[in-house]
Amino acid sequence: MSMTDGPTALPGAGADQAAADRESKGTPPGSSAAAPRRGWFAGWSERWQAMPRQQQWALLLVVVVLAYLLPVIDPPLISTEPGNDFPLACQTMAIYALVAVGLNVVIGYAGLLDLGYIAFFAVGSYTAAMLTSPDSTFLKIPYLWTIPVAMAVTMFFGVMLGVPTLRLRGDYLAIVTLGFGEIVRILATIIPAMKGQVGFQNVGHPPGVQSNGVPVFANSNGVPWYWLTLTILIIVLLLAGNLERSRVGRSWIAIREDEDAAETMGVPTFKYKVWAFAIGASIGGLSGALYSGQVGFVNNQKFDVVTSILFVAAVVLGGAGNKVGAILGGAIVAYIPLRFTAIADYKYLIFGLTLCLIMIFRSHGLLAARQRLLAYGRHAYAAVRSSHDAKAKTALGGEAPS
Amino acid sequence: MTLLELENISVHYGRIQAIRGMSFTVEEGEIVSLIGANGAGKTTTMKTISGLLNPSRGTIKFNGQDITKMKAHIRVVQGISQAPEGRGIFPAMTVAENLDMGTFGRKDRSGVAADLERVYSLFPRLKEREKQYGGTMSGGEQQMLAIGRALMSGPKLLLLDEPSMGLAPQFIRQIFKIVTEINQQGTTVLLVEQNANQALARADRAFVLETGEITHTGTGKELLANPAIKEAYLGVT
Repeated sequence: MSMTDGPTALPGAGADQAAADRESKGTPPGSSAAAPRRGWFAGWSERWQAMPRQQQWALLLVVVVLAYLLPVIDPPLISTEPGNDFPLACQTMAIYALVAVGLNVVIGYAGLLDLGYIAFFAVGSYTAAMLTSPDSTFLKIPYLWTIPVAMAVTMFFGVMLGVPTLRLRGDYLAIVTLGFGEIVRILATIIPAMKGQVGFQNVGHPPGVQSNGVPVFANSNGVPWYWLTLTILIIVLLLAGNLERSRVGRSWIAIREDEDAAETMGVPTFKYKVWAFAIGASIGGLSGALYSGQVGFVNNQKFDVVTSILFVAAVVLGGAGNKVGAILGGAIVAYIPLRFTAIADYKYLIFGLTLCLIMIFRSHGLLAARQRLLAYGRHAYAAVRSSHDAKAKTALGGEAPS
Repeated sequence: MTLLELENISVHYGRIQAIRGMSFTVEEGEIVSLIGANGAGKTTTMKTISGLLNPSRGTIKFNGQDITKMKAHIRVVQGISQAPEGRGIFPAMTVAENLDMGTFGRKDRSGVAADLERVYSLFPRLKEREKQYGGTMSGGEQQMLAIGRALMSGPKLLLLDEPSMGLAPQFIRQIFKIVTEINQQGTTVLLVEQNANQALARADRAFVLETGEITHTGTGKELLANPAIKEAYLGVT
């Protein structure tokens, strides 16, 4: 009973139908990314979608306010153990979350496995340090100005790395990016101007002095740093959300799913891959600049491959392709060793095991990705919908279609 | 009028030559079949036409224009659309989103709506399943989706790479019937197949490909009747 008119090529013959059904049964449920998303949080996401707009906003507002108040409330069970300042722990979590959101653009959206993301973080850190620290011979600018500069510089590095390497695919790309991560660290060691292990002290911070003469953004003063980072994180999140729903976002998903198919659909895949790298890199640089400002000291010891892998772990743990998942993953990866100092030495073991378990029981991460992509096609879609419905109505002599 | 013209095309994978000086044309409105065994160079030919591979020698002309150096994503806008071998659908997108990706290079919304209507009337099954994830559909449905998605770009030339691969015989007949219908609606079709029987029966003209070279040409019927081809490709002695 086709409701379409015009040429109907599938006559709906019983035999054809039966063959189709046999085929459906014979096919195993969709591989990896294909399966409909079910799991611990599936109910939440549906409930969220079903909520009216105002309710969503209200709920978001509560979450955001709670997030801002987190270091001030310092909830007893959640709070870190003595020796780890809780507001500073919150700052670390926010930094990791920001890193994960940036890396999620590269790995989660565009499907490009970047194992050297630490390099961008390092470039951002060094940019901020070298433009503000008294140890550096470069010109000095106010700290807040280093943030856009760091983003621009890392974006440039992202394009520099992307243009030659994004012609590679899969494992090859992963190896090259891994190498790039090491190159930046080694350059910091051997280039005299970057001062190797000596590093840069007294990296700048935003202006403002408390009544007792201590700067608002002192290295040990976690709360203002956390609020700054959280604010930037929210802005980045809004921008990433817009990007995700745009044409660019759709292209990234298509590239991730099947690059050749995307290219033959008219997606300029190379261009969009470079874009993913550049945008991801700039967010990495941004988080690096925030990090070096808060810590106040940058040297070559902080940007090792293991941290880079930890970033990837944060994205995978949270759910590659889901920005909220990335925040969760980043925060967890930062939080666990600070909260449970007894096991902090075993953190790589624990994260390794966790990742294995996640891969076995929840291969899409804690929060699985689901993008709504029909930003452009929706119009066409609605048009055809209504015309189909109209025709169905006339075909049935005015009766409502079942 | 000649829509597609390959002239002395050679394609290499590293030092291995996959296509050796191939020349053929596709006229507007035709169904042309390219048949051959595994490794004969069928898919390589398709990828060279769609732009995923670059020929090491020779020229490709489309609609009178030299497109040899043109990137794949621009060829789509020019009117060459490929339904790739092994379907190549986006598994984590729904059917509707997959179809929507086919319109990526287009600017005309009214044309998009008309083409969506056309695809849904060719494949009512896709309409029934428009909210379903591509990866959860059966092989036959995925093939329909791949063809539907290729049609969404509004192509002049549709490249079909082994549409019958891995499908039940019922489905193969259906798919070929639909291909004929697409052609009758005015789209030129270049078809690559191992299923020589169906491919030749449906084709206006056909070529037999062996180790990167065209060894036989003729109308579909002529080749079907050719004893050498019968023996080699149709399993009849």
